[in-house]
Amino acid sequence: MPDLSECRERDDVPTYYERPLLKAPHWEWNVVTYLFLGGIMGGLGLIQLIAHPERPQERRLKRTVRITSFILAAGNPAILITHLGRPERFLNMLRIVKIKSPMSLGVWGLVLYSGAAGANVVRELAIDGVLPRWMRLLAPGFLAPLQALLGAFTAGYTGVLLSATANPFWGSGKRHIPAASVCSGLASASALASLLSTFEGNHAVVHKLERLEMVAGAAELLILNDFKRAAGAYGAPFFKGKRGERLLTYTVVAGTLAPLALNLIGQAVKLPKPIDAVRTTLASALTLVGGYVLRESLIEAGKESARDPRAAFRQPR
Amino acid sequence: MANGFFTDTTLCIGCKACEVACKQWNELPSDGFVFTGESYDNTSELSGTTWRHVAFVEQMAIDHQGELQDRWLMSSDVCKHCTNAGCHEACPTGAIIRNEFGAVFIQPDVCNGCGYCVVSCPFGVVDLIEKFDPDGTHYNLASLATSRLDARATAVQQSGGVAGKCTLCYDRQRLGFVPACAKACPTESIQFGDLDELRERAHARVERLSERGVSAQLYGADDVGGGIGALNAFFLLTDRPETYNLPAQPVLPSTRQPAGYTAAAVAALGLALAGWMIFRNA
Repeated sequence: MPDLSECRERDDVPTYYERPLLKAPHWEWNVVTYLFLGGIMGGLGLIQLIAHPERPQERRLKRTVRITSFILAAGNPAILITHLGRPERFLNMLRIVKIKSPMSLGVWGLVLYSGAAGANVVRELAIDGVLPRWMRLLAPGFLAPLQALLGAFTAGYTGVLLSATANPFWGSGKRHIPAASVCSGLASASALASLLSTFEGNHAVVHKLERLEMVAGAAELLILNDFKRAAGAYGAPFFKGKRGERLLTYTVVAGTLAPLALNLIGQAVKLPKPIDAVRTTLASALTLVGGYVLRESLIEAGKESARDPRAAFRQPR
Repeated sequence: MANGFFTDTTLCIGCKACEVACKQWNELPSDGFVFTGESYDNTSELSGTTWRHVAFVEQMAIDHQGELQDRWLMSSDVCKHCTNAGCHEACPTGAIIRNEFGAVFIQPDVCNGCGYCVVSCPFGVVDLIEKFDPDGTHYNLASLATSRLDARATAVQQSGGVAGKCTLCYDRQRLGFVPACAKACPTESIQFGDLDELRERAHARVERLSERGVSAQLYGADDVGGGIGALNAFFLLTDRPETYNLPAQPVLPSTRQPAGYTAAAVAALGLALAGWMIFRNA
């Protein structure tokens, strides 16, 4: 048998008829939405902790954020279930706890978060007098930091869920995708909280929330910028071409830089209340769109990366 | 005791008996009529319902004497049943187990089709099984006479929506039989048996080939790197792994988790601190 392997140029990586090695993820809008809402939910977990209970406006923010986070935690599993090939078997995820599976840990994180958030909502309603006052005892003090901790986990694990796979693009962001997920989650959570506070007329807390949104947004941009450098050729499906332009337009410019500018104006200039409300609404909506497009781009770039056999042959380290 | 496959590609004649035997025994549905124009390969890849796939590579080149040399490489690909399997670690329901024969096995009645194993396999083996399609349009069988369409869903199709891959013929092994593909292979290119024995045989085969002037290498008989360890289905190749659509540097996905969780924790801690400072101010 002749040996022809030496006749080829050494640098030329052969492929099998340019066919993909890997299988692309089956994940669609429902998983994108799940990751997006999971990030917001996690970020709200932090905000409900840091809002000061002694100040009436922040007390009110705490209450709003707790109720919103519980609604998200209760609704998000429904979206997760729709993506399953066998939705009626969702509960099989609760058969076991598997430390090595981010999908398993994430579901448990979500369940525990719902529990903590639910108890904190009961506490709020008991304080309000909607529920009997003794029911405050159902939510001891440690549940607030616990919800924040579980929130940080649910915002971060969605990044690990993607980066700890065999997908070359996702794998190239093993640090950046989880960190960016946390930042994007908190930026979106702050945006949603300032939106809700504006609607409630609780204007006093909006500037603080917007400062938090700016910090998280700026951190997200720095991480994405470093991700582009570190990912190199593996990052092409995400940073280059049509998807790269979309990411730049919706997540970077419209979703982070524009709200950053709007929020800076809000901090520097004292605008009349109705105009300020429009400004906050616009900035928040843009941040939320940017957060959604970030998750969508991550998933879609993962699909394209899976189709590239050369990237899959030599995985990023 | 762990059993596995040793696929010696120098013995493969491309008859696809393994593909057919696998489909027959496991009642796997047709892939439909697709003509790829890629040598004799119209199967193209492993999938949720294709558990053996014969790759065909035709190579031609002018050698140093100016003579045209050509050769065909044929190789029957299969699930590697990795020592550390990405799909096994990723599965959140515990549907994927390692069975008493050392094989990685998906329990179809437990799997809920989350698809996380699909993106966690470094070899692109696992996929979700399509739901049963009585019209046959999905399988591109519309051109067939209707009498030849499947009248009923097979067991595998009934479990549509869940993940599927080679079981190393768990049912046959329990009965003491050799897996269908190895049984059907007419040249013993696919050998089934105890892994220690197979590895010994494989190393001896590489040496014998080397004496005859054929340079061959084993893929997966020993650690393939990246944390995956050795493969319970390994191969003897005469060209680079990529030629057969096998990765040269695969990585076990879970090895990326510590860096990921740490990065997320650092980001969360930093932002929590910033948030606390923002809200502490009056």
